[in-house]
Amino acid sequence: MNRKNRIILSCVYWAFVAYVFVPLILMVLMGFKDSNFIGFPIRSYTLEWYTGVFDDAETISAFVYSVAIAVLSTVISILVGTWIAVLLEGRSFWGRAVVFGMTVLPALIPGIISAIAFRIYARYLGIEPGMGAIIWAHAVHNVPFVVLVVMARLSTLPKSQIEAARDLGADPLIAFLRITFPYLVPAIMGASIFCLLLSFDDFVRSFFLGGYEPTLPVLIFAKLKSGMSPEINAIATVALVLTAVIGVWAERFTRRMNKDS
Amino acid sequence: MSKLILNRRKLLTTAAASGVALASPAYLRRANAQGGEVNVWTYNDFVPEAFKEQFEAETGIRINVRLVDDQGKQFNLLAAEQPNPSVDIMTVAGHRFLQFIDSDLLAPLDTDRLSNWGNINPTFSESDWSTIQGEKWGAPILSGMEVLAYNTDYVSAEEALTWNTLFSEEYSGRTAYIIQDMMSIVMLMMGYDGNMVEYMDDPDKAAAIVEEAKNFLIEHKPLVRKYYDGGAEFQQMMVNQDIVLGHSWNGPAAALINDGFPLGMAIPNEGSYGFVYTYNIAKNCPNPDNAYTFLDAILASPEIGAAMTKASGFISTYKGASEYLTDLEKASTSFPDEQLANLQFFRAEANEMKYGLVDPAVEAIKAA
Amino acid sequence: MTYEASARKERGAAEKAPADRTFWGRLSAWAPYRALAAMATASPRRQFLILAIFPILWVLTQHLGPMLQMLRVSLTDAYPVAPGVEQHFTFDSYLRFFQDPLFWMPFFRTLIFAGVFTFCTLILTYPVAYFLARHVSRKNQMLFLLLLLIPFWVGEIVRTYAIMILLGNTGAVNLVLRWIGLIDRPIPFMYTSFSMGVGIVYLTALYMLLPLYSALEKLPKSMNEAAADLGAGAWTRFRRVTLPLTLEGISSGCTLVFLISTGFYATPVLLGGPSTTVFAETIAGFFHVAGDEWPTGAAFAVIMFLAALGISAAFQRLMSALRKGDTK
Repeated sequence: MNRKNRIILSCVYWAFVAYVFVPLILMVLMGFKDSNFIGFPIRSYTLEWYTGVFDDAETISAFVYSVAIAVLSTVISILVGTWIAVLLEGRSFWGRAVVFGMTVLPALIPGIISAIAFRIYARYLGIEPGMGAIIWAHAVHNVPFVVLVVMARLSTLPKSQIEAARDLGADPLIAFLRITFPYLVPAIMGASIFCLLLSFDDFVRSFFLGGYEPTLPVLIFAKLKSGMSPEINAIATVALVLTAVIGVWAERFTRRMNKDS
Repeated sequence: MSKLILNRRKLLTTAAASGVALASPAYLRRANAQGGEVNVWTYNDFVPEAFKEQFEAETGIRINVRLVDDQGKQFNLLAAEQPNPSVDIMTVAGHRFLQFIDSDLLAPLDTDRLSNWGNINPTFSESDWSTIQGEKWGAPILSGMEVLAYNTDYVSAEEALTWNTLFSEEYSGRTAYIIQDMMSIVMLMMGYDGNMVEYMDDPDKAAAIVEEAKNFLIEHKPLVRKYYDGGAEFQQMMVNQDIVLGHSWNGPAAALINDGFPLGMAIPNEGSYGFVYTYNIAKNCPNPDNAYTFLDAILASPEIGAAMTKASGFISTYKGASEYLTDLEKASTSFPDEQLANLQFFRAEANEMKYGLVDPAVEAIKAA
Repeated sequence: MTYEASARKERGAAEKAPADRTFWGRLSAWAPYRALAAMATASPRRQFLILAIFPILWVLTQHLGPMLQMLRVSLTDAYPVAPGVEQHFTFDSYLRFFQDPLFWMPFFRTLIFAGVFTFCTLILTYPVAYFLARHVSRKNQMLFLLLLLIPFWVGEIVRTYAIMILLGNTGAVNLVLRWIGLIDRPIPFMYTSFSMGVGIVYLTALYMLLPLYSALEKLPKSMNEAAADLGAGAWTRFRRVTLPLTLEGISSGCTLVFLISTGFYATPVLLGGPSTTVFAETIAGFFHVAGDEWPTGAAFAVIMFLAALGISAAFQRLMSALRKGDTK
């Protein structure tokens, strides 16, 4: 391959990395500012905002609450989304296009509209606002992304594998669990990361469907009312680091589990 | 310099410490633990932490706070929950009463059940805007106003005494305002009644006035840097020096001053509008008795009012609350008497007509 | 567990033990399971029904339900309904959009912005995805991709404020430029279409990057090499081989980004200027003010949604025509 192209491309990649990371670095930096507001110039530094995050029971419980919601809603999205993907991929039946259209619908509705629609519908169904309602809304909203990712992977599954398994006497469920599912694992992992991210980051749906316990984004919005303070930056940074640590640990853990089994 | 800056966390700790030292009000001891809970929708820090702990310990009533960040969302949420809301107490800005009352979302307040009603400065509790349809609808807790805030390094105090400075060529590209609020102020600048109560019987005149104000703002659109919505945006623009002059609510401006930022604020000679945050009881609320206990308790001491001021930058409606403020906090939450004389409260009587005209005008200004 | 590893393990297990010793073997030998499986797979028709019934129920009740509720709200004259008020069916909210030119400006601006920003995102992320898929070793690809995903864990608002202190008059960029001596007065980046673009591309990059990456990753390297052997230059190879083969990824990425960016609210409001009002802001306004405006807000949302969907459909048709044209 020609070196020149490669160098140009890698420059573009790292420039892009810089573009995505510079705001993040500023965020981390501002958490050290000894003031109630972020911005330059920084006259003096303090660790207090960062240490304060760990003393703040409200923030910690909001973080735990958000993580729990993200994990539970992701599990539901993955189950439902994979099922729908298996139904839709490589099968033609009457009404398939309609089912597909309805499947991707929640991903296409603008945030505030979807939040209010969910709120109205929750009332119609008799779902009480609170953790269950948020999980439900996040799960429904994230299903389309799972379906798209899983369908893409499914389309590359060699048909011969399934046929071989069936020839050996496996029924469709066992063939799915032993052949298809392991093949889908990378796609499901990717979709999970995406779902966790969308759920953890969501404000509107959490606000409209939440009860008296704030999720982390709802808490941050409320705190923003008295100004964008270094405190909020510190909270966001700590949340980022913690989720990254949990994510890496979970990844290692599942990898080890797989090795052991 | 950093010595001077008491950050919010330090402030709250001091407030908490002094709250414990404060002798608990007598009525709380009498109300033998009745238990249960009270659900409150409010802004961050409007229910001081020290108060919350003491109240819960003494009454056995748990306070569930749901944080809101915007009046409109609060309205939507309550509207979506009716007729069986989950909320007891909510925080409404006084001039938005009518919208909530018209939609039948609030219960009138029985002030006889509040022994501490008298602790509120009568300027707020007995003001004309606070009585609608012969009833009181909320307990005033904090007061805010529309001010002209300026970076003292760039703008002089004299220049800030007129709203015209905001529209001068000199500060082109370095100003910002909330466009809805500015409509009322522009009407005031032009010598009209920005509340539009005077023109309730003359819709043609009202329409002409709004048209005039609209054209004024469109004409001066090239000079403005940003139409903003929230206090945090204003603060950030000031800190980043994207603007040096702007219309703001006093709360966010006071918070900047208390942080040591070179900011001044004024109520210009043409006048300005004030508003009051109130605690209200939602109609059909689940725990009405606890709601009254909560209201009476939070009105009990000026120190609670001072704690709210420290957290928000808005001015306390409690008698004697300023005694508990530092000098800088006092300075950032008070105005000279001659400026205060120019202030009037937002009124809601004509809101339906006013916003029927102003909202499309705002759209038109943004689209221009 | 990767597919290959598990397949290897399966084979190993099959050699060592008779089939009925493994979990799966025991399961398929277990009588109740066999009865159940036999019943479920009695005919292809029944098998299909069992597979299809849950997803169809789910999308009907969970995906379509909220939308239908909103459609219903948009066709009423009052919502939420105050006690004692009767609700009527009406098209007024829809008519309002077509009668008042005031709303057209933000509407078309939103569509144009969404198109422009989608294009910018594509131009920016295509080389990034290309680099990832073609020039990074397979082992590191996931790592490099994850690196790019990290910033998206940070909430939209916190990130948006970070962009403000990056681009503000005393922001990082202006500080650096002044320190180098390139400028002596700060450049006002903020509250322009530029600052808005910087914020929005941030939000959309992820949705573009993933489909592009997966399209490029599938591309066999041999294709390019064959073209090179035939003497095609780098540009020709890209234009004649890579680009046509990734058109599908481009079209799905662009569609997704376009649809999503018509709905952005917080970022354009915070980073935009006086003349960049988007339609989502107009819609949100109807939900924020007095109660009887909900139907209008809902109707406008439906209009925006249908328009965006229509444009995406046209775009997809164009792309598939392009694809067909290229294979000929």
